[in-house]
Amino acid sequence: MSTTDLSRRRFLAGSAAIGLSGALGGCVGSGGSNDGGGGGGGESAGSSGPLTLQSSAADPQPKAALKAVVDTFDGPETTINTVAVENFRAQLPTYLTSENPPDVLTWYAGSVARDYASEGLLLDVSELWEGDGACAGFSDALRELSTTEDGTQIFVPTHYYWWGVFHRRSAFDQWGIQAPETWDDFLALCETLLGQGITPLTMGTGSTPWMSSGWFDYLNLRINGPEFHLALLSGEHSFDSAEVRAVMDEYAKLIPFIDPNGRSYSWQEAVTPLVQNKAAMYLVGAFFTESVPSDVVDDIDFFRVPIIDDSLPLAEEAPTDGYFAASRTDNPAGAKELMSHLAAPESQEVYVAKAGGAFLPTSTDVDTSGFSPMIQKGITLLEESDQLTQFFNRDSSDELQTTADTALTRFLDQPDQVDDILAQWQQAAEQVFQG
Amino acid sequence: MSSTQVATPETSSHDGRQPVRAGRRWRRVPPLVWVFLLVPLAVELAWVFWPALNSFSLSLTKWNGVGAAEPVGLDNYRRMFDDPIVRTAVTNTVIWIVVFGGLSVLIGLGLAVALNRPRRGVGLYRSAIYLPMVFALAVTGLFWRVLYQPGGTVNSALENIGLDGVARQWLADPDTALYAVLVAAIWRQVGYIMVLYLAGLKGCDPSLEEAAAVDGASAWQRFRYVVFPQLRGVNTVVFAITVIDSLRTFDIVWAMTRGGPYNSSQLLSTYMFEQGFTALNLGYSSALAVVIFVLAIGFIITYLVRATRED
Amino acid sequence: MTTETAVDPGTVRRSANVGPRRRGWVFHACMAPLTLLWVAPMVFVLAVAFRSFDDIAARGLGALPASFSLDGFSTALSEGAIGRALANSAVVTVIGVVATLFLASLAAFALSRHAIPFSRTILLTMLAGNLLPPQILLIPVSSITQSLGIYDSLFALIVVQVGFGLGFYTFVLHGFMRSIPNEVLEAAVVDGAGSARIYARIVLPLCRPALAALAALATTWIFNDLIWALTVLRTETKFPITVALLNLQGGFVSNWNVVASGAVLAAIPTAVVFFAFQKHFVSGLLVGANK
Repeated sequence: MSTTDLSRRRFLAGSAAIGLSGALGGCVGSGGSNDGGGGGGGESAGSSGPLTLQSSAADPQPKAALKAVVDTFDGPETTINTVAVENFRAQLPTYLTSENPPDVLTWYAGSVARDYASEGLLLDVSELWEGDGACAGFSDALRELSTTEDGTQIFVPTHYYWWGVFHRRSAFDQWGIQAPETWDDFLALCETLLGQGITPLTMGTGSTPWMSSGWFDYLNLRINGPEFHLALLSGEHSFDSAEVRAVMDEYAKLIPFIDPNGRSYSWQEAVTPLVQNKAAMYLVGAFFTESVPSDVVDDIDFFRVPIIDDSLPLAEEAPTDGYFAASRTDNPAGAKELMSHLAAPESQEVYVAKAGGAFLPTSTDVDTSGFSPMIQKGITLLEESDQLTQFFNRDSSDELQTTADTALTRFLDQPDQVDDILAQWQQAAEQVFQG
Repeated sequence: MSSTQVATPETSSHDGRQPVRAGRRWRRVPPLVWVFLLVPLAVELAWVFWPALNSFSLSLTKWNGVGAAEPVGLDNYRRMFDDPIVRTAVTNTVIWIVVFGGLSVLIGLGLAVALNRPRRGVGLYRSAIYLPMVFALAVTGLFWRVLYQPGGTVNSALENIGLDGVARQWLADPDTALYAVLVAAIWRQVGYIMVLYLAGLKGCDPSLEEAAAVDGASAWQRFRYVVFPQLRGVNTVVFAITVIDSLRTFDIVWAMTRGGPYNSSQLLSTYMFEQGFTALNLGYSSALAVVIFVLAIGFIITYLVRATRED
Repeated sequence: MTTETAVDPGTVRRSANVGPRRRGWVFHACMAPLTLLWVAPMVFVLAVAFRSFDDIAARGLGALPASFSLDGFSTALSEGAIGRALANSAVVTVIGVVATLFLASLAAFALSRHAIPFSRTILLTMLAGNLLPPQILLIPVSSITQSLGIYDSLFALIVVQVGFGLGFYTFVLHGFMRSIPNEVLEAAVVDGAGSARIYARIVLPLCRPALAALAALATTWIFNDLIWALTVLRTETKFPITVALLNLQGGFVSNWNVVASGAVLAAIPTAVVFFAFQKHFVSGLLVGANK
């Protein structure tokens, strides 16, 4: 293994030498060689060197919130570098493996982070989780989420959120309906709304096809339970099993209720029908409130996805966001200092207040009593649940997510092809697990 | 150095129309000229051919961009035969090259012929048709995504002329997604091809066409047998540009559908990108890139060898 | 052949007059709607760019504009930093175009005017390199720039653009230089001029039309490139316009007026270049091919 790596490296290094002579010789007079040296970096010394925070928060509000937090950091000078999430995802391996990587990066807790850690690319931040470290007081669930197989911590969670069926309180009042208690009530409610000419559910699966996994995750959690769900996502069960088929049968009942135009929308665009009272409900993460006009935010309410089988442990999706640092950073001490600052209760408070989405702080020291009633309700929702999951991709991988996107968006179009779809999904998933 | 060159000037004057052969008489190539050639060649070798070779070697491995690449022989190529998406992507790529190349050349040539003769308004028409070319493909993709939205212009326009039944979610419908993207790509390309042919038509000898007209040749016959053969040089350039642009077709599909819905508009290039950067199967994705390369290079070489030999 | 070309202008004018004037209205009846159809998407995007967000949100994208607002532009310029991105693009494009054309003209000069062995093979190989799908090079190019320490610099982007564009420009310039009459050069040789002087004093000035045409073409290619910029850059402040636009779209997903404004701003420079170079745009490109 390692010899292959070495020879590959030499291969590239050899090409680099030729490239250098060719490139510099070629750009005579353009002053290029100076630029080249300057871009190299690596000379920044000790813990005083400046830091780069590579951020995927490109939406205006989270971007501003992060800036506000970093502005109050009195450690090394820190530059925030914002790259829209799709490109960020694509470039993440490049960032981490580069010779002069960004020091701290925004990303997700869970299997994605563990993957990079197992390659030795993430900085061990265990000291932040010990003694009076910034994360020492975080819950055991968060600690577990941020820990690798070998017991070190590599992630600093700073906020999380919940998923639920969101709606406008005023619209529900106007239509004379209430949040359903049981799954049958929910289906009956959708039927009633449809009869009144209102689209029961909105969902943006056009440029964000991963949204279709929301219902899949929840139905699987409600029908087969969290244990089965997580085992399925780690390849221990088959996607063409009877259990998954049962999930799809239930999902098929929802299809007539889902806004067909959602197939062209992103999750953000799918918010519009909800805001305009053309659609009644939206299964989505609480982050979506950043796309709700500010005068409507207070009108937003939600309810738990109804329980289908009450013998199962009650599970909710609670994706956790935060930061990790590249193991190749020039300034590990500074990176930890920055992460401590980002995880500090005051910073979390600022971020949660400004980011627009309904985020929950990971620090128990943040006073949540002043948060909106909806957020209080979200906290209660998670406290009442027996188990928390992340989301399809975070509990598995971005690659498995691609197979789910293909299968589920096709299913939304052609529910009668379910057998074929599941067989193909399983085939694609096997390919992923073989890696 | 110059003495050998001076020795032969008197013979070259009467074959001045074949400068290449005449150039051979300069027998010895001065060292500086070698530098002239080798510097650009080295740059291209370093930044194009060497990375390409790297990709070939990567295609024989399994690698996720992190850690060590594991050699797997031809497994990546074998995997393609069982991958249904590769089949879709190959079909779509062929459709793309034929329709994109064919229609943009046909419409571009047609418009060039129509707008060749100077008359009132021609300049305006030409500029309008050319204008889309100035937009980046990614930007074009953005435009057209807006146009194709469920409440967007295309559907509103169809409803206004009473074709409600035709309105649909162009980019979300697997039957139309690829063609919807094609329309946008052709919209941008046609003006460019038109300008190339306009320049080519300007270089045609009008007296030949007039002579043919006197002989009673129809408009089509004059075009087919008199004008078109004179466009051979332009055709080579158009062909090269069309192929380059077809192969660069990535941005617009990526910006509009990302290969979706459920892979129905996937091209080899977008699937390769998805495998490489979303799924981090760099080995498999390099193998797909090699296939694109082989497909492309095959017919490019065939065409160019023929085209340059005829010169 | 040459004598016939001398009377060309006259014949052209005559044939235009002979042309069927009375069918003019048919021509306009066909062309006018087609042109409108062609322009419609651009007009639509312009309209969206000048609408206010509230108008779009309330009445939908497809509706006729009922508002006029420059908010889209000001947000694109401030939040999206479109101005800085345009400056980056300008630096990369100008240096990239000049460097590529300079190198390509050197190679074309060597290949077309000298008895380089296997010159046709070399030329076609260089062209083939340009025809490679860029995707095949992304991963290695990113590694190479890193091991050179130039990853994440505009310099890296320029070098990659230069390397990747060379083949096609060399091919076109080669065709052009081959069409330069031999007598012109041999006179210089008799005067004892060396290769460098022949190149700089005679060949290059003669190639001006081809260089202008290629410069315009290269400008649109380099300026509009997305994939290379994504590959070698990671710092927001160094992003060229295309990546900045993608970022803008990622951040302002349903704010179509901002995205449309950014797209319009991004298109202005290429539009200017095209209209400035329109006269000798493609003609130079074809002189070599036309012969």
